[in-house]
Amino acid sequence: MAKTDKTTNMKSKPNKKKKKNSGPKSVAMKNKASKADNNPFETIWSRRKFDILGKKRKGEEVRIGLSRSLAIQKRTNTLLKEYEQTGKSSVFLDKRIGEQNNTLGEFDKAIMRSQRQRQLKSSKKSKYNLSDGEDDELGIPGLGSLSERDDFEDDMLSDDDNYDDREADGRDKRSNVLKQLNAHNPAERDLTEGEENKHKSKKEVMEEVILKSKYFKAQKAKDKEENEQLMEELDKTFSSLVQSEALLSLTEPGKTNALKALVNKDIPNEHLINDGKKPETFKQEQPDSYDKLVKEMALDMRARPSDRTKTAEEIAQDERERLERLEEERQKRMQAPDDSSDEENEGNEKLSTLRPKSISGDDLGDSFTLDEEPKAKKGWVDEVLERNDASGSEDEDSSENSDDAEVDEGSEEDDDAEEKTVSLQDWEQSDDDDLGTDLEEGEEEEKELDEENDDSTDDEEEMDPRGSKKLKDNVTVENRKKDRKSLEAKNIKENHAQRSVQRDIPFLIEAPKSLKEFCALLENCSNADIIEVIYRIRVSNAIKLSAENRKKIQVFYGVLLQYFAVSANEKPLNLELLNLLVKPLMEMSMEIPFFAAVCARQRIEWTRTQFCKDIKNPENGCWPSLKTLFLLRLWSMIFPCSDFRHVVMTPAILLMCEYLMRCPIMSGRDIAIGSLLCSMVLNVTRHSKKFCPEVIMFLCTLLMAAKDKKSSSHEESEFYHLRIQVLRPLLCIRDRVNDIRPLNFLTIMNMPEDSSFFSSDDFRSSVLVTLIETLQAFVDMYEGLSSFPEIFLPIETLLLELAQKQNMPAALQEKLKDVAQIIKKKAGDSLLLRRPLQMQKKKPVSIKLLNPKFEENFVKGRDYDPDRERVELRKLKKQVKSEAKGAVRELRKDNYFLSQVKEKENARLQEERAEKYGKARAFLQEQEHAFKSGQLGNGGRKRKR
Amino acid sequence: MEGIPITLSDQNSKKPGVIFVLEKASLEVAKVGKSYQILNSDDHANFLRRNNKNPADYRPDIVHQALLSILDSPLTKAGRLRAVYVKTEKGVLFEVKPHVRVPRTYKRFAGVMLQLLQKLSITAVGKREKLLRVIKNPVTQYLPVNSRKIGFSFSSEKLIKIRNYVDTVNNESDLVFVVGAMAHGKINTDYTDDYIAISGYPMSAARCIARICEALEDKWDLL
Repeated sequence: MAKTDKTTNMKSKPNKKKKKNSGPKSVAMKNKASKADNNPFETIWSRRKFDILGKKRKGEEVRIGLSRSLAIQKRTNTLLKEYEQTGKSSVFLDKRIGEQNNTLGEFDKAIMRSQRQRQLKSSKKSKYNLSDGEDDELGIPGLGSLSERDDFEDDMLSDDDNYDDREADGRDKRSNVLKQLNAHNPAERDLTEGEENKHKSKKEVMEEVILKSKYFKAQKAKDKEENEQLMEELDKTFSSLVQSEALLSLTEPGKTNALKALVNKDIPNEHLINDGKKPETFKQEQPDSYDKLVKEMALDMRARPSDRTKTAEEIAQDERERLERLEEERQKRMQAPDDSSDEENEGNEKLSTLRPKSISGDDLGDSFTLDEEPKAKKGWVDEVLERNDASGSEDEDSSENSDDAEVDEGSEEDDDAEEKTVSLQDWEQSDDDDLGTDLEEGEEEEKELDEENDDSTDDEEEMDPRGSKKLKDNVTVENRKKDRKSLEAKNIKENHAQRSVQRDIPFLIEAPKSLKEFCALLENCSNADIIEVIYRIRVSNAIKLSAENRKKIQVFYGVLLQYFAVSANEKPLNLELLNLLVKPLMEMSMEIPFFAAVCARQRIEWTRTQFCKDIKNPENGCWPSLKTLFLLRLWSMIFPCSDFRHVVMTPAILLMCEYLMRCPIMSGRDIAIGSLLCSMVLNVTRHSKKFCPEVIMFLCTLLMAAKDKKSSSHEESEFYHLRIQVLRPLLCIRDRVNDIRPLNFLTIMNMPEDSSFFSSDDFRSSVLVTLIETLQAFVDMYEGLSSFPEIFLPIETLLLELAQKQNMPAALQEKLKDVAQIIKKKAGDSLLLRRPLQMQKKKPVSIKLLNPKFEENFVKGRDYDPDRERVELRKLKKQVKSEAKGAVRELRKDNYFLSQVKEKENARLQEERAEKYGKARAFLQEQEHAFKSGQLGNGGRKRKR
Repeated sequence: MEGIPITLSDQNSKKPGVIFVLEKASLEVAKVGKSYQILNSDDHANFLRRNNKNPADYRPDIVHQALLSILDSPLTKAGRLRAVYVKTEKGVLFEVKPHVRVPRTYKRFAGVMLQLLQKLSITAVGKREKLLRVIKNPVTQYLPVNSRKIGFSFSSEKLIKIRNYVDTVNNESDLVFVVGAMAHGKINTDYTDDYIAISGYPMSAARCIARICEALEDKWDLL
């Protein structure tokens, strides 16, 4: 508003406009300016509540008194006026010039008005006005002129105004009248402008069209030229490509010729094309030889990259990974699966092979499909093979024996194989022959089971039972020995028959369906030949060749197993052959894992039932035969020993342990077999570290047997077996032994039961050495057991006792002491690790801690709700609420203001009335007084009277 | 499976608790640049100098350390801590519940404090319970009636061994320890019953609190 103050002397009209724009506010401002000095309350500033460093708050620095008085002024200007207007039908509008402008004084207003008058006078219309007295009329401003206009010059006036305004203000400031005029104008103006545009564009469009067509023509020509150039280049490069080697190597030789011909043809063509453009179009019409060639080449096989040859490192890496994977699987299987989740695990893991086998008794036929889990099976069989390889020899027994005792035996067997000149007399009398035939019966039973379950599936297999049934016909139930003999006799006959014919081994051999056939096939063959025959049978009936071969191979596997068992029973033990047989057996069980497992299980079951029968009359000697031992060994090589639960190995281990547990120790031979079983169990459980108490107990029993009889009344004897009481001091060394020689197991087996060798001190000392070495291996194996001290400490005392015995060879004594020392040390260690039992102790429970919730960069007033919609809604609600509050507040203030005004009015009226009343009353009183005093009325009354 | 506890649970018996009051904590919010921050001497030295303040006085890390050493002590874990009250230099008083897990890093702690001083309360994550909240002065209205209020100052003439001192205190009454959480100066409170020094050397607030806690744990057999 300072501007307006300054520009008071300028022309009146702009000022007027500005004033209109700034309504009551300017008034308020003016008032403020004037009153600021007067009211002391308005100078007071609001107090800051908190002083926050670095913050400038807007809302806090407010002069409340001032703002309040401003609000009141505002109301007086607006609300009060409205209030005053209520109930009035007409409004008085003051349109006098300069009346709206407060800044103007009376004098200025008068000047403006006279100016206006002059203008009106000097305008064209009034030129011809003749009246003299108009000067006077015009002297009265505003109203007079207005009435004049109304009378005569309605329409002309507007023009005048228009003209005047333009003169005065230029374009910016137009009067209302002009605005109204303009409201009509725009349409016309637009029309004219549109016409102009149209006119122009028509010409332009034509020009543009012409220009465009010219431009496109030029462009086309240019493109054509470029295309030609490109084609030229392409042809050149192509011809060079054809000459080069690269294309030749990619295309077939026939086509290269065509290509070359084409290129040669093309090159002259090019010249033609360059000369004139006609040939080009011509060329496009008929299919080009080049195009044909291209199409042909598209149909060609693409050259494919061959597999990169692997480097040595990569091969090694692959092999290593495979081994790692296998080891992982083995570890997994070694872990104890939970009983509840057993089946599931089997379902998931590679162990799933076990599931069909666990119900093998009833369900043989279905599980014969190899395709289900070829990989898993391969895993462990591979491992077995691998272990076999690791030991470096194909020998059956010595393969895995890192243990000394086993090595001893292995070497013994080797020795034995070399000897081969062992007397056969005793062999036939042994029970093993029985076992041989009985085994066949077992096979038969198994087959019969198969038949019962699913006749349709195994047509081939039915052949086998028939063959064995034929055998069975020969077998009479009462006398088994005789049966065996007759069978042998029969074989011998056949041998004789075929011995004369020295035939070559056929290359394609049908798989034999029975043992008899197989034996016939192997008649007169050397060991190598037998293996060759087996190999050829397997090759010619490979499972991969046809589906039927699977059944054939399965049958053949059974036969081969039988053959293995039988040849293990043969009198001059052909150990070499047995060793050689192991390899094909293992490979085949890799191919048909289910069947192999089923066979093994059946045989184990049968052996067990046989054993149960034999144990009833203990004097027969129920220790396992050589054949059983060999079979057990074979299985432990075929199947993974370290699995926590395995269809074959678990029963096999149980069977071995049962032998050790239940068979009475009658002779030295029993001891030898028992110690062999012990080392086999050791071998089998080495990786899984299963605890077999039977073995430990057996070893302990044998050690007791090495003591004198007198000292056997120790309290430990109660712990161990009942048979300890009947045990003779079989291993008690009586005399001095000079040197300890390793024993040969097979020779021992061949010896008669009451041979003098068994009572010799040589035998005793060497058995003791074996025992102690086995024991040491077990000690090493079980050191992790928490009950180690309890298991081995009694043995330690026993060992020490033995060591102190006289006649004990020095080497043996040392070993005994060593083992005792080891046991003591390890027991001490494990005792040291034990913690005493404690009362149940509760850890103090700490109070539960809670995390405070806070934002990373907290800004006050921001809503940290993750739901944006809700935030938006909340914001709106807040706004509505605050607005409503504000409105209510304003309304309240308005009401207050109005009521104050009304009150004031009332008070004024009251006062007025009171004044009037007072006046009237005073008048009346005066009159009364006058009347009474007789100034006025007395005379009159007196006159009347 | 939880078995039958061997020892008798003595949850019913009321055990005396501990209250800590941290006086003169330098937690001040300021608008630095465009954002609000808790002032500290490291980050805002220039800002403070520009505003004629001594940067050495702005040490919110002392409060952080002190709170950590209180709330991490076995005393607290055993449920003996009743509350912690912090009064800032500006006079704002707030309460810290004993089951708060104070942020371990200073930056996060500053975030919590910033929000607390602006929003006046901090809730737990996922709960509505207020873990920290600004309360009205004076602090005495929140202290138990029969509690013993002990102020600590290096300047005190009464230099004693805290273990012995704690032993002499009545076993039933709650204990209130008033410790200063400022860089320089001493606390001057009128509501403390006693005013002691527990070391011949000037100690940091955290170390002093640790010493108090250890003495109490020793006394009450909290391991």
